[in-house]
Amino acid sequence: MKLVVNGKPVEVVVPPETPLLWALREEVGLTGTKYGCGIAQCGACTVHVDGKPKRSCVTSCGDVGELPILTIEGLSTEAELHPVQRAWIEENVPQCGYCQAGQIMTTVMLLKVKPQPTDEDIDAALSANLCRCGTYPRIRKAVHRAAEMLARPVANGDAK
Amino acid sequence: MLVGGGALALAACGGGAQTLRIHHADETGDLIANLYITVLATGRVSLIVNKAEIGQGVSTGYATLAAEELGVPVDHIDVHYADSNEDMRTSSMMQITGGSTSTAEAFVPLRHAAASAREMLIAAAAQQWKVAAKDCIAVNGHVEHGDQKLAFGELTKHAARLEVPAKPRLKSPKEFTLVGKVDRRVDLRGKIDGSAKFGIDVQVPNMVNAFAIHGPTFGAKPIEVDADRAKRRPGVIDVLAFDWGVAIVADKFWQARAAAADVAVTWDKGILQGLDTAKLQTAMRTHDKAGLVGREHGDASSAIEHAEHRVEAIYEAPYLAHATMEPQNATVDVTGDKAEVWAPTQSPTLAQAFVANACGIGFAEVKVHVTLCGGGFGRRAMADVVGQAAQISQRVKRPVKLVWTRESDMTQAWYRPVYAAKAVGGVRDGKITGARMRVLSQSIALSAGDWFGAILSSLPRTLTDMISGAALSIFSSGSFGDPFSTEGIQNTPYRFGNFQLASEPVQTKLPVASWRSVGNSVTGFIMESFVDELAVAAKQDPIALRRTILPADSRAARVLAAVEKLSGWATPPPKGIGRGVARHQAFDTEVAQVAEVELVNNRIRVKKVYCVVDCGIAVNPDVIRAQMEGGIIFGLSAALDQEITLVDGVVQQRNFDTFPLVRMYEAPEIVVEIMPSEAKPTGVGEPGLPPIAPAVANAVFQLTGVRLRRMPLQRAWNERGAS
Repeated sequence: MKLVVNGKPVEVVVPPETPLLWALREEVGLTGTKYGCGIAQCGACTVHVDGKPKRSCVTSCGDVGELPILTIEGLSTEAELHPVQRAWIEENVPQCGYCQAGQIMTTVMLLKVKPQPTDEDIDAALSANLCRCGTYPRIRKAVHRAAEMLARPVANGDAK
Repeated sequence: MLVGGGALALAACGGGAQTLRIHHADETGDLIANLYITVLATGRVSLIVNKAEIGQGVSTGYATLAAEELGVPVDHIDVHYADSNEDMRTSSMMQITGGSTSTAEAFVPLRHAAASAREMLIAAAAQQWKVAAKDCIAVNGHVEHGDQKLAFGELTKHAARLEVPAKPRLKSPKEFTLVGKVDRRVDLRGKIDGSAKFGIDVQVPNMVNAFAIHGPTFGAKPIEVDADRAKRRPGVIDVLAFDWGVAIVADKFWQARAAAADVAVTWDKGILQGLDTAKLQTAMRTHDKAGLVGREHGDASSAIEHAEHRVEAIYEAPYLAHATMEPQNATVDVTGDKAEVWAPTQSPTLAQAFVANACGIGFAEVKVHVTLCGGGFGRRAMADVVGQAAQISQRVKRPVKLVWTRESDMTQAWYRPVYAAKAVGGVRDGKITGARMRVLSQSIALSAGDWFGAILSSLPRTLTDMISGAALSIFSSGSFGDPFSTEGIQNTPYRFGNFQLASEPVQTKLPVASWRSVGNSVTGFIMESFVDELAVAAKQDPIALRRTILPADSRAARVLAAVEKLSGWATPPPKGIGRGVARHQAFDTEVAQVAEVELVNNRIRVKKVYCVVDCGIAVNPDVIRAQMEGGIIFGLSAALDQEITLVDGVVQQRNFDTFPLVRMYEAPEIVVEIMPSEAKPTGVGEPGLPPIAPAVANAVFQLTGVRLRRMPLQRAWNERGAS
């Protein structure tokens, strides 16, 4: 079957019930999306499907079909990071780093829906993503910082 | 890889090192200064880190120390993680990451290695310019003398011909330009763009994938396996039974995982049949034997007997899982009597031993490559999954990546030991007259003996002798058992006047191991809850009472005073907020915390935590702050909600739905202050954890008058007054 990953069509040979997570990791070769729990509890496997955050561990390839899929690898180019990723660097967010692709993908979606999120908005969106290292206070700061960057990309002098 | 290989070859060369160094420099332009540092012709520096990056920031710390002495910016350093290598065994004669030792351990030797490289580069420049080396400086990747300047990369070939300085000069702390100032982690980029490779992401040529089915009870063995249908599924290569479970091997992991539905296994009852943690904890709570006395000052019993008020309490803590975000996994290629391993491991040395034991091959024949680790917390010092992957590879004769499910990760683990401690104290005239504690816990040392005996025998003889010698001396030196059980109480800075500490090991076959801060994760709760209760009996402010039993000039007293100030302790908290304090010393680092707590619909909510840490010289202040934040949140998950329970040998918690972690909406605001210091650095990965549970319990008491003595605290709150 065909998947459309990060703007490119990819042919994968998997039964339709195969979770998208494993198709991405093993068939498409994109390992930035992580396995954490397999039951939609931790959010490490979060990707965007048709512009909505999805737990790829419980989303079957058959259900996704040819809807556009965005993974962490497709978020930015080598030359230019997404503002959320830049904010993650500036706040020194990651520790072990394993959950961060999911945290970032969830944040990108949050900021699309709520460009100036309150702490309550952050609680509501990011409480779906677990971090065992306890980077939550930094994630919160980084979300606010990313929102500022997105609102004033040039004024910050860090548009590029 | 090439750089690491060169450095290893250098180590192996011994007396021929210089010949190799010159040859390598002539061929490549790179200066292999020593085992750890290679200065490349490009001017970049390759640093071999003999520790695992488990999130604690060791790569940033080591890069900072090396860059400081070399005279390069930190971003000129490329970190590589050391393979298994006997020349890189620096802790307890092993390569192991644990005990919050990494920074303390490397602070002098790693700077020595970097300073040695710097002096070789300076000497080369000085010879070219015909000036005295002492008049040259290394800065920003160049050697400079007046207006003259040469990049490191232009000096490597010449420097390779020079003598390695035996005693290079190390900077004094006053000369540091990076230590104490560098905050940006060196490992961020790959962790935010998906390119970081963890163990679970390893791909090697010709590799197959394995899915493990473990029994319903811990340690259950398969008696009968019906896998005919599974073996006919696409991609499935084989279904294999082992003592520890059943492995489905397939081209892809998703194929193996899907085939699991077609495998029917009959299991034996497992080694834990009958183990019931509710009964075990009741037995521990009511245990009335005195235990073996380990520390004794004065006459605690008499002092308590003659006191005005007697305080008696039992504190309890459950088994816990590590629950690293990256589930246990390993990739192993066993060929004949050799094995190659790629694994997220905290100890390549122990991984070698597990594989050697699992496959019946020689320890020295096992080569381990260390990947990034998605969390460690002690779990990844145990290499059971590496041994399992090795056994599968040995049977299918191909490289195998074995990935455990979250359910296996949680039910087949090595757990934080269960505890019950009885504490008795006396108070008279507002002062403590004496205290007595008896700690019951499952012994990590004895458990290691049960589970580890065979594995340890796979280690090289010298290492086995050293470990068994150390174990023997612990148990025969008149000491009173497992030092892990009572660490944090044995070495308490509190001066009770009359004090007695006894302990007794509890035996079950559930394997227990180090879990972030080890014994301190419970002894901090025991001691700091109890001291708080004594303060109440003495009608004293909790900080004021603590001050009376701490030496005035101690680090503990200074850190406590700092957190008192930072938290605004003197001003009472607003209505509805309870405030609790706790302090603890672990791995030579002193930490004090004040927690502000409220109750929302009977839920304990920690709003804010003030934290002061004294860890000697702060190499990377923001990494230290991050470790305090992480230790607090990791500890808060355990304090509030987590427990591993067993019913008839079956672990009841299988995933994050029943073993909850603190989530964003309950993560407190955390304010961290680092004490200025010129003392040698001490650890930060673990010491942030122990004070949080007692600080929260003490805050709940201050708010409600209810004393919670059993973790998890939320369950204790829900069941308050019930027993």
